[in-house]
Amino acid sequence: MIDSSEKRKEVKKKLRKLEGLPTLPPIVQKLNLLIEDERVSLHQIADLIEKDQVITTKVLRLANSAFYGFPRKVSTVSQAMMLLGMNVLKILIMTSSIFDIIHKEDVGLWEHSIGVAACAKIIAEKTEIKDPQEIATAGLLHDLGRVIEMVSFREESKEIIALISQGEEPLQAERKILGLDHAEIGAFLMRQWNLPERLIEAVSAHHQLDLSKKFKKESACLHLSDVLVHARGYGRTLYDKVPPLDPSVFKILGLSLPEIKEIIFSLEPKLYELKFFTEELKKELS
Amino acid sequence: MQRLPLTYIRPGMKTFEEVVDPSGRVLCGKGVVITEDMLKRFQELGVSYVTVEGTPVVLPWEKTLEEELKELEARFEGIEEENLLQIKELIKELLFEKFKFSRPE
Repeated sequence: MIDSSEKRKEVKKKLRKLEGLPTLPPIVQKLNLLIEDERVSLHQIADLIEKDQVITTKVLRLANSAFYGFPRKVSTVSQAMMLLGMNVLKILIMTSSIFDIIHKEDVGLWEHSIGVAACAKIIAEKTEIKDPQEIATAGLLHDLGRVIEMVSFREESKEIIALISQGEEPLQAERKILGLDHAEIGAFLMRQWNLPERLIEAVSAHHQLDLSKKFKKESACLHLSDVLVHARGYGRTLYDKVPPLDPSVFKILGLSLPEIKEIIFSLEPKLYELKFFTEELKKELS
Repeated sequence: MQRLPLTYIRPGMKTFEEVVDPSGRVLCGKGVVITEDMLKRFQELGVSYVTVEGTPVVLPWEKTLEEELKELEARFEGIEEENLLQIKELIKELLFEKFKFSRPE
């Protein structure tokens, strides 16, 4: 029998060193210094980002995809900065390599993630949660822990899948094998990267709303988005069936059944567009 | 009708509804056969999607209503929680609505 608290320590130690994961792009450190410096203009920050063509291309592609839903094409870093805000832009830069991995390793998880991002944006706008772009970005990252499991814990990942196929509940399977689940792993890394606490809490509570303390609306938004995207059958995760829904989301978000219907109906055209986005990426990679 | 990204649109396809640019300006009416020149113009003006008549492009990932309903049942198998069942009914409604409009003319 595996000692899960020992395993947990070992996993966290490995996460601290980020073994097997692409390290943060060097531009991130420079960017952090520039952002902190009050004398630096947004223009100068945009200049720095644009010098890195690979990152610029990736960020603009994400900025233009349907989950943010801007009517006009975002064609420069300055525009992206204005439309998405500095926080989101920074997160997209930091995590651009992670998105590449999700896409290559597990298209189903990538589709699920962008679906949740789109849905979270719709719900955030409807329920007037501050900075819907940030919430969409948290949606994009909510299963970050799964990516880490696949890349940095390959063997364990196979064991988890085996346990689930024997009928174990997915979160329990992860805890049995790794000592912690993907929501915890994702939040752990986001904290290491100094991402906003609001987003970390939402990611950590996306399967267990009761873990949320300060940012209940944000957490409820991700939880409901995750369930709705599963219910619609867009993408694939460890859950073959629709995961459990905490009924308190409706009260926290102040949503009634007709409003849930509106959300489901406005999500559909977004998912339709996102499928083309994924296909385009697939073609480029093959 | 079928809504397609501009890159999937070919000359000869017929518009099902007006083509508008990102600011909502109408570039072309409905029922118009698209030409090479129009395509170029749409691209220059930032049009991303055009809705055309019929279903000229086969999208390999598109499912039939029967497939959608079968998979929906499978995803909800064994689920009894009331809110989730309501969500399931809403998705059924969505599917019926969607397929009512996308049946080939």
